[in-house]
Amino acid sequence: MNNYTESKIYTVSKLNKYIKKLFENDFNLQDIWILGEISNFKLHSSGHMYFVLKDKESQIRCVMFKGNNYALRFIPGDGMKVKVRGDVSVYEKRGEYQLYVREIIEAGKGELYLAFERLKAKLKDEGLFSEEIKKKLPLIPQNIAVITSPTGAAIRDVITISLRRFPNLSILVVPSLVQGTFAAQEIAKKIDFLNKYFKDLDFIIISRGGGSLEELWAFNEEILARSIYNSKIPIVSAVGHETDFTISDFVSDLRAPTPSAAAEMTIPDKNNLVNNLSLLKSKITRAVKRSFEVKTENLNSVSKSLKYQGPENRINQYYQYIDEFGARLNSRIKHLVELYEERVKKDSQRLDSLSPWAVIERGYSICRKIPGKEIIKRLEQIEVGARVEIIISDGKILSKVEKKEAVLN
Amino acid sequence: MKNKKKVEDIPFEEYLRKLEKIVNQLEEGELTLDESVKTYEEGMNISKICLEKLNKTKKKIEQLVIEGEEKFSTKPFFEKKGEDTVNDY
Repeated sequence: MNNYTESKIYTVSKLNKYIKKLFENDFNLQDIWILGEISNFKLHSSGHMYFVLKDKESQIRCVMFKGNNYALRFIPGDGMKVKVRGDVSVYEKRGEYQLYVREIIEAGKGELYLAFERLKAKLKDEGLFSEEIKKKLPLIPQNIAVITSPTGAAIRDVITISLRRFPNLSILVVPSLVQGTFAAQEIAKKIDFLNKYFKDLDFIIISRGGGSLEELWAFNEEILARSIYNSKIPIVSAVGHETDFTISDFVSDLRAPTPSAAAEMTIPDKNNLVNNLSLLKSKITRAVKRSFEVKTENLNSVSKSLKYQGPENRINQYYQYIDEFGARLNSRIKHLVELYEERVKKDSQRLDSLSPWAVIERGYSICRKIPGKEIIKRLEQIEVGARVEIIISDGKILSKVEKKEAVLN
Repeated sequence: MKNKKKVEDIPFEEYLRKLEKIVNQLEEGELTLDESVKTYEEGMNISKICLEKLNKTKKKIEQLVIEGEEKFSTKPFFEKKGEDTVNDY
């Protein structure tokens, strides 16, 4: 009964860990595709998806973590036939094996989807989608070409919207199949043809309205992708609806979600441009006018200050100085003249009062020797018996000196 | 050097950028009188060129008819309304 040794007893977790390793080391269980039908689908609030994949006879538990399922292009549901890709492993806590799903595709679309993903990966690796090689579209396209069905809604939308936005546009419609086996090849050929004979085109829109994945398939083919890549003329891809992505979208220079959007995105609104131009023009005129005004004002103030310092003003200043000086001079001279006149008058009055005649008038007389007419002021000037003349106010008296008598005072 | 380039070869957006630059220059008001007269004239000339560029193209909707490897012609394109089928889409 006790024929086992302690060393052979496993714990449960050790056992499950061991089994898990077995699963994970078996490459037949890793990265495999399984076909089945979804049932018991649950999207947990954590974002992880839990469901059961089954066929008529059997089933397996599946989990798809948030990190893998965010890229799903559809929401899985019960009863959906799908192909899932993943690894089989063990959930140790419960001791249950399950499928860890990394990718789900709807079974019906499987082949195309796989082809799409394969080509996308391949062309991406080759650098066909690289942003650096994308050509820039001109702001004002003048000549554009649209490769599409000439009878579809897509061409109608593109033409209508383009002309509404820019009424004088030249559009070259290049009819082509847009679905079916030969469509991709035909579109590719037309792109090559336009590159050869219509080098002046501003860009080419390749377009098709919405449809199923199969109907849009031409735009997922390598031959078209290569032709778009090789085109010297920029290519705008406008295929299907917003949610449809094609290889053409990735490799083209611009992806438009729909044909209408292609026109909206690539054709400028002429009215806007014209308005913008006249706005710029009036801005220029206004700015120049204002700078003229400012300069005129500056000029005025400069010329004003120049006048203050300039020769004209100096001369005027001198004129004024001279005028003032002249006036001052005049009044000064006048004053001087008056002053002199006054003085002369006064002097002459004084002279009058000093005149001997005035004294003689008052009764004095002058006695002069004869001859000689020397005025006698002292006794010693004259001898007794000499003749003298005495001048009085109205004549002279001739007389003889009889006696000299000194006056003692 | 730019003068050597023909007006037709210079894209509209380049002229538009020039015009915006001129507006800025004039609005800054740092130019001399001579310069602003020159710049003003240049701006007016460029806006004329821009307008000409906008009006240059004639409206033309044509359809390409390929008649062989190197043979083709164009004819006026008329929308065929009411003829689309699902396949034509």
